[in-house]
Amino acid sequence: MLKIRKRDEPWKWGALVVFLGALLFSLAVSGLLLEGQGKDAIYGLTVLWQGSFGSLWSLEDVLLKAIPLFLCSLGVAVAFRMQLWNIGAEGQFALGAIGATWMALSFPDLPRFVLLPLMFVMAFILGGAWALIPAFLKLKLRVNEIISTLMLNYIAILLLDYLVFGVWKDPASFGFPMTPEFTEGAIIPGIGGSRVHWGIFFCVAVGVGLWAFMRFTRLGFELKASGEGARVARYAKIRYGMLVLFVMGLSGGFAGWAGCVETSAILNRLQPSLMVGYGYTAIVVAWLARLEPLNIAFASFLLAALRVGVENMQLKLQIPAAFGTIMEGVILLTVLAGQFFLTYKLVRKPRQE
Amino acid sequence: MWEFLIPLFAATVQSGTPILYATLGEMLTEKGGVLNLGVEGMMALAALAAFWTSLVTGSPWLGFVAGGCAGMLLASLHAFVCISCLGNQVVSGLALTILGGGLTHFLGVPYVGLAAPGFDPFDFPLLSQIPGVGEIFFKHDMLVYLSFIIPFLFWFFFRRTSLGLHVAATGEMPAAAAAVGLKPIRLRYFAVIAGGFLVGLGGAYLSLAYTHLWTNGLSGGRGWIAVALVIFAFWRPGRAVAGAYLFGGVMAFQLRLQAAGTHLPSSLLLMLPYLLTILVLILSAWRGRRIDAPAALGTNIEPEG
Amino acid sequence: MKKLLKLIGISAALLMALSLFACGEAPQQEKKAEEPAKTEEAQAPAEAPKVVKAGFIYVSPVGDAGYSFAHDIGRQAVEALPFATTKFAESVPEGADSERVIRNMAREGMDIIFATSFGYMDPVMKVAKEFPDTKFMHCSGFKKGPNVNNYFGRIYQARYLTGLVAGSMTKSNEIGYVAAFPIPEVIRGINAFTIGVREVNPEAQVRVVWTKTWYDPALEKDAAKSLLDAGCDVITQHQDSPAPQEAAQEAGAYCIGYNTDMASFAPKANLTSAIWNWGPMYVKTVEEVRDGTWQGDKSTWGSLQDGVVDIAPLGAMVPDDVKSMVNAKRDELKSGKDVIFAGPVKNQAGEVVFAEGTAPDDAALLGMDWFVEGVVGTTN
Repeated sequence: MLKIRKRDEPWKWGALVVFLGALLFSLAVSGLLLEGQGKDAIYGLTVLWQGSFGSLWSLEDVLLKAIPLFLCSLGVAVAFRMQLWNIGAEGQFALGAIGATWMALSFPDLPRFVLLPLMFVMAFILGGAWALIPAFLKLKLRVNEIISTLMLNYIAILLLDYLVFGVWKDPASFGFPMTPEFTEGAIIPGIGGSRVHWGIFFCVAVGVGLWAFMRFTRLGFELKASGEGARVARYAKIRYGMLVLFVMGLSGGFAGWAGCVETSAILNRLQPSLMVGYGYTAIVVAWLARLEPLNIAFASFLLAALRVGVENMQLKLQIPAAFGTIMEGVILLTVLAGQFFLTYKLVRKPRQE
Repeated sequence: MWEFLIPLFAATVQSGTPILYATLGEMLTEKGGVLNLGVEGMMALAALAAFWTSLVTGSPWLGFVAGGCAGMLLASLHAFVCISCLGNQVVSGLALTILGGGLTHFLGVPYVGLAAPGFDPFDFPLLSQIPGVGEIFFKHDMLVYLSFIIPFLFWFFFRRTSLGLHVAATGEMPAAAAAVGLKPIRLRYFAVIAGGFLVGLGGAYLSLAYTHLWTNGLSGGRGWIAVALVIFAFWRPGRAVAGAYLFGGVMAFQLRLQAAGTHLPSSLLLMLPYLLTILVLILSAWRGRRIDAPAALGTNIEPEG
Repeated sequence: MKKLLKLIGISAALLMALSLFACGEAPQQEKKAEEPAKTEEAQAPAEAPKVVKAGFIYVSPVGDAGYSFAHDIGRQAVEALPFATTKFAESVPEGADSERVIRNMAREGMDIIFATSFGYMDPVMKVAKEFPDTKFMHCSGFKKGPNVNNYFGRIYQARYLTGLVAGSMTKSNEIGYVAAFPIPEVIRGINAFTIGVREVNPEAQVRVVWTKTWYDPALEKDAAKSLLDAGCDVITQHQDSPAPQEAAQEAGAYCIGYNTDMASFAPKANLTSAIWNWGPMYVKTVEEVRDGTWQGDKSTWGSLQDGVVDIAPLGAMVPDDVKSMVNAKRDELKSGKDVIFAGPVKNQAGEVVFAEGTAPDDAALLGMDWFVEGVVGTTN
């Protein structure tokens, strides 16, 4: 007879075991799905691996994808720590891209070391503002932030469409919805001759900065405390409100930076195809990484690898790209279920009667 | 004027029907104390399941039920993760949306662009002859007529049946419910799974009645609107009907504005449903009636020992 | 212990990143080393390949009975050739992801890659620079290069013909157009359609509703219904799903399809469809690759004369006199005479844009962002 007993102290290695277990389980489920569609599971998974890690250029691709994912996930994690369910990373990403584009189009002739920082600043401001709207609504009107952030996602994408079809449309684009191409000064350059751009160092800086902030400052500690008990927060009501605004603004700002990086370095202009769902994958990454900045780096690399590997599967096996989404969902669910074992364990108890 | 309004209202009823099913389903789940954010993914998978079943068996009714079952299936995953494994309800629901969406896209590839037998509108005998009201409410398909009854069933379930009362009690105070001999875990499972069935019916409506085709993205954000509407409805079925029709109306309205030749940019018009959702939440909160939320909503029941 | 592991993990990641930019040149060199090997098996220097490998990239699922489906039929024509094999990737989102897919295809040794959606334009140009021996065909764009051609079809000619049908069949003089995005090809199609409508029926109007999506049956059906409610009795579309056709049939109205013959979705209501026919063009292109006569830096705008666009057979409900009128116009186009946009053409405000006796050049058509007289709707 199995009984549930709470552990005296959380299982130390548990997080890693759960994570690996979830990965394996997800791979198994994916394999089954492949077989169900008449494809060879082992071959499929090999293709997945090769697609992500099989060559230098695929690693480049993975890094390129991991950069915006990392920034979005940092933002999501910071909010989730306070139990602020920011589902709006996608919309904040879009607003960041809009902010960066605004600067790039308004000041195309500025030198790179002036224009790029300007773009980053505006991206942070707009992304952060977009997250502050639901924050205010929550504080003043007790509007559920899950819904408000999500609705703002849809609105943000429509706003992007409106700008790109209207005032920002490139006159040389034959009427197609895209802004003019950015000038040299607005593009983040690649490092050396590779396609990987300086954004990666930006990520490292932001990640380390956030980690240090959370570890060594009082504010950072308060953030952690606020999340783990709303009771703590209620003791200092004004403080709680400021914290919410600060955290949501930061959260939106990070996602905005991701949008800036993607627009500047990858697309070199603003167009609707910018939106590929980083904001939603970021939630998976943040949760997998247990909301800690250092882990997020690893998890975003992994999930970016998943995306890139799945593309390879698309080509070789004619599998739709949604396959990667399924894996993301299964991993997350399994991790959630598995985290049960971090606080509880199953004990065998002899039958009493 | 009436020539514009009556077809608009009629379109509203049809457009609001899938939202109504989904809202009531989510409401049932939340009354039990569990938040299920996976509605969007559930509707998508249900639409595919319903479509496939109808295609293969030739029976739209079987398809309709199959859609409900698909919703139940996904919901039971959520139930297991949250109720038995004490997983975070918000994140689990999001995972469900991601998984549901991905599964639908993946499994649905062979069926894109096909047409399956579905439900067609017909004139309800006698009632459809009533001027105005008849055209608005009684010239639709069978599933719409069914949706007229469900809110009453919902009300009856929670007010008059013991199971309903038990579920509501679990949603308010699981510890107290356990103390009087109820089984909160089982009741929660019931609420989540039964709610999932209703949500699935909403998804099935999209591919069997709304259109007879299937594609990705049929749910189009309706699942999220349903979650918001539960809050707007103060967890009461009557207001859910009003909310669902309000949404259906806005979606139908912005298209009709365009057809009438408005000069407003369509991107801005398309924002209307989402702006309205936020507005609706603001208004609900302003009235200050948050008390109506089931007290234990979103929290997990820790096991003893 | 856990911290140490974490630290090792991070350092490893950083080292990887550093090594990547340090040997930034390496990927290029590796590629160059591979290229000659590939080109040797695929095509000996200055000689055409024996078996042409053609890759196709679609923006939506193949089975959508719409745009990508039409391209895929073209691909199948190539696949049927004894000297060619094909590969395809569907549902590839435009933007950065497509760049990877295109690059992967090029790495796989494709001789020619057909990128069938506008949003692939910049990625195609980028990858084309890295793979100078691979040939690229970009559909519906406007950039080209030494190894990149762009191509499209004058679907507006087919639209004009369907407009003639619609104008003849409408009784309410209101015709509905469910349209996706206000980009030039869509606007041009609406204009040509309206010109056709007004040619046979100067009183009729064309009402436009934008859905801002290529493929969303529920929304498209709603849009069609809103047009039907506004009094339209013929519905046509620039969308990839047959949902508007369904709506029209349910309401007892007529409808005209797009991309492929949509008659099977609304047999009682469908009059005809404006369709693509990519097969002959794709086969010709692949033959050029085989013969070594393929030339880059070209823009090709195929027409009804080339067989790239056409209309589906007219439905039984279309009266014979209308049928013969339309066929006569079609023959005219087939002989190469295209005077659809010949002046005088007025815009919605009544101003003359193309004066009498003049005809616009391709550039004016390619950038069209205004509606002709007779269209009710906005261009954004």
